[in-house]
Amino acid sequence: MKWFSSFGFQRRNRELQEEIDAHLQMAIADRVARGETAEAARQAAVREFGNIPLVQDVTRQMWGGGWFEQIGRDVRYALRQLRKSPGFTITATAMLAVAICANSTVFSWIDGTMLRPIPGARDTDDLVSLQRGERNFSPTPPFSYLDYRDLREQNHTFTGILAYHHDWITLTGGALPERAYIANVSANYFDVLGIKPVLGRFFLPEEESRPVPNVVLGYSLWKTRYAADPAIVGKSIEIARHPVTVIGVAPEGVVGAMPGIREDLWVTLDPLGTDVWRMTHRSGGAVWLNVIGRLRPGVSRGQAAQDLDTVMHNIVAAFPDDHLGDNRITLDPMWRSPFGANGYMAATLPILLAFAAVVLLLTSANVATLTLVRFVSRRRELAIRQSLGANRIQLVRQMVLEGVVLSIVAGAVALVLTSWTSKTFAWFFPANSNPLILNGSMDHKVVIGIAVSSLLAGMLCGALPAWRSAHAPAIEVLKAESASISGGSCNRKLLSGLVVAQIALSLPLLVCSGLFLRTLRNLAGANPGFEQDHILTSSVGLNIAGYSHDEEQVIRHKILDRVSALPGVKVASLTDWIPMTLGHKGDDAYPEGYVPHPHESLQVYHAEVAPRYFESLHIPILEGREFTPDDDEKAPRVLIVDQTAARRYWPGQDPLGKKLRIWGGLFTVVGVARNSTHIFVNESPEPIVYMSFFQVGYETIVQVKTEGNPVDLAPAVENAIHEIDTRLPVFDVRPMRESTQMASSFAVVQSALAGMFALIGLVLAVTGIYGVVAYRTQMRTHEIGVRMALGASRVDVLRLVLLQGLWLTGIGMALGLAFALGLTRFIARLLYGIGANDPVTVVSVVMLLGAMSLLACYFPAHRAMRRNPVTAIREL
Amino acid sequence: MNEKDQYKNRIELLQGTLDMLILQTLQWGPQHGYGIVQALRLQSGDVLQVETGSLYPALHRLERQSWVQSEWKQSESKQKARYYRITAKGKKQLATDLGRWERIVEAIGSVMYVKPGESES
Repeated sequence: MKWFSSFGFQRRNRELQEEIDAHLQMAIADRVARGETAEAARQAAVREFGNIPLVQDVTRQMWGGGWFEQIGRDVRYALRQLRKSPGFTITATAMLAVAICANSTVFSWIDGTMLRPIPGARDTDDLVSLQRGERNFSPTPPFSYLDYRDLREQNHTFTGILAYHHDWITLTGGALPERAYIANVSANYFDVLGIKPVLGRFFLPEEESRPVPNVVLGYSLWKTRYAADPAIVGKSIEIARHPVTVIGVAPEGVVGAMPGIREDLWVTLDPLGTDVWRMTHRSGGAVWLNVIGRLRPGVSRGQAAQDLDTVMHNIVAAFPDDHLGDNRITLDPMWRSPFGANGYMAATLPILLAFAAVVLLLTSANVATLTLVRFVSRRRELAIRQSLGANRIQLVRQMVLEGVVLSIVAGAVALVLTSWTSKTFAWFFPANSNPLILNGSMDHKVVIGIAVSSLLAGMLCGALPAWRSAHAPAIEVLKAESASISGGSCNRKLLSGLVVAQIALSLPLLVCSGLFLRTLRNLAGANPGFEQDHILTSSVGLNIAGYSHDEEQVIRHKILDRVSALPGVKVASLTDWIPMTLGHKGDDAYPEGYVPHPHESLQVYHAEVAPRYFESLHIPILEGREFTPDDDEKAPRVLIVDQTAARRYWPGQDPLGKKLRIWGGLFTVVGVARNSTHIFVNESPEPIVYMSFFQVGYETIVQVKTEGNPVDLAPAVENAIHEIDTRLPVFDVRPMRESTQMASSFAVVQSALAGMFALIGLVLAVTGIYGVVAYRTQMRTHEIGVRMALGASRVDVLRLVLLQGLWLTGIGMALGLAFALGLTRFIARLLYGIGANDPVTVVSVVMLLGAMSLLACYFPAHRAMRRNPVTAIREL
Repeated sequence: MNEKDQYKNRIELLQGTLDMLILQTLQWGPQHGYGIVQALRLQSGDVLQVETGSLYPALHRLERQSWVQSEWKQSESKQKARYYRITAKGKKQLATDLGRWERIVEAIGSVMYVKPGESES
């Protein structure tokens, strides 16, 4: 260990040695002078001096910082011991590294998402996201501009409240049109987030609601599309064929205020003056803003919510017709904000982290078992050191240090592994139409997490065995030549306890992963209510490319005609929404003649679909009719509702001919469609209304039912669209099956990780019980030999060993079962189609674990049975 | 009293007073470890036998407290040895130690030599 020499310890050691040598030389010289022979004088001097290493040792303790050198010595000793048993060292390090990595990986995902909800923003702990009305897992933007402005100006508890709305847009004017995610933001957006521009400026308050065509570029867009032009500020660029002026560039890493979503550029709320309507209304399509506030220092979320509720109450009183339904305000911290990805993260990742912690605990127990066995085999060495004057604390420190050294190495390995695994989070999310930027991050918090967990694990797998081993009475151990003293009954109890703990910990892991896997299978096998095979969807960026409304309508008809004519296309239709892709559109709807309950949300999901939409997805129309090409802008507005909507608004009545008011317009119900899944297979059914695409359609998604594999038709569909106009942006061309995978991606994350953790748990538990039974059987070789010599049959021996192992398994499983039953309650809401205490899962897990343990006990039992009693007796 | 007990008593006697004895020995001039042992033995008429296991830790501790300083020098018999010298701070400490020692001796003496009748008066 070269590094300790630099601290001067070696020099001082040398000097101490010389000092002692000089002492001896002088003593010898004196004795020789008194007439003793040289040899006798030397012996007498050494004897008189006493135990030289001990004197050195106690003297060294007087030096300042001696503890440091002591630790250095202990570390060197620990390393030497670990080098002596490479099998143990490598196994234990690998196991600990995997377990620590499991924790740090999940934590890095939490760190990258929940703990860093808004990259680049200052003090995100003070930020809260505002929600109006009923709490919902995937809510739509809850506020109108006027409501937002009133809340911002009349509250007393916020230093600032921002609002934004984002969507795709096409950047034109360059060589190639490019799709980007643009946000309309309040002027104080960057102020409230606490972000300063790297170039130019951000928006001014007077620009907020006036048509000022200014744009702020995101850093990466500035770099890629505008070649990091340092003189970009003041230049004009084209967005959807409108010229706008660049006024600033946001710093690197800033991607907007919605967790998990990347915004590329920002404009004010109505930069072109084309959205006057939604800037001046309070309901219908004017409810379009997501809102985030920064709490004043010292204000709690509860106080702020109360304050906003008061303001909102006044707004509702002033404009009751615009605020039917529930208007209570709830505030969420950004780490679990329902807007964006964190709502899902908060429901999933902490549970996975808890699983990972159980894996670490289990691994520590396993390594502790190995360590204990190792210490027992080293008990003579320990006893000798004890009798040479090492006190118990020193021995314990020494042994704990071995565990700590192991875990530090394991932590370092885990650190390297995590720098890679933290980036695997993005794999779980299939290509989709949202600009998702979900991934783990590897920063100081993760490193601290790794350090803490590895040290804890090290203490755990070093301390318990060490404390026990240091207990062994030195004299007895030194005297006893027989292996029958296997470290005393204390050790035996500890060994058994550790095995029981491993089984008890692995059982809940197995049960949970079983439940998750079956949930995943149920989700995959569930009928979403529509046919998603042989469907190809492709988005056409008509609304974001700057076409006039009339141009859009013409192009849409052309697209439908051309795509329908393609060979291999059975049915072609248009829609502006794909179910089960985490997104949905929602607006308040006022059914005529319906009196809402107090606080009932009047929001309904809506989708705009063209004729033959229901036919292509095999959604039956139960009453009335499907949309026809005649349901266009000239015809009266019509609606198709689903069963949930029909039952809620007109219970026991015929919904056909009934009217709904949406966006201030009246729509007549012409049909009732069967219920189908909107977002998640396991959602509670929400009412949805379908409107005619050619009356109110906004985004354009071409939906094609194909004869063969939908992927094969993708180029043909794209070509057909481009034949109409080559500048038409076409994107997200993919089979529907692929898009709808998004709905189960979190179930995949859960089951993949839980499955992996459970597998690790199973392997550890089984090797743990195998190791202990094998070890104990080996210790009892002599005893078994005696038994056999006295007439015990081989079956008796087999039974003896098996029973011992199964007894431990039994206790472990009983404890584990209790643990599991208590634990599964926490994952109940993540399950689908299966109870939290599903007996089939529990029984199969118990049987699996039992069978594996039986197998693990059988091998050592078999070996013991086959031994020759004569050699067994001789073996001590 | 057997030999082992005698040995034990000697150690206990030295405890706490070893520092003082070392500093006192160094009053007469710089000395090395072996020399200190010899000096103490001679001056005490062979009663005080300092264990090396106590002496060297004590010397190193005293040096750390700056009560003594050490340097490597040749002895008269051409043996290179580490010589310890008392510092000004050490002398002050010695005075304090001595004062306390005298008080202890006095206190113990007054307990040990008290006559039965005197305590009641």
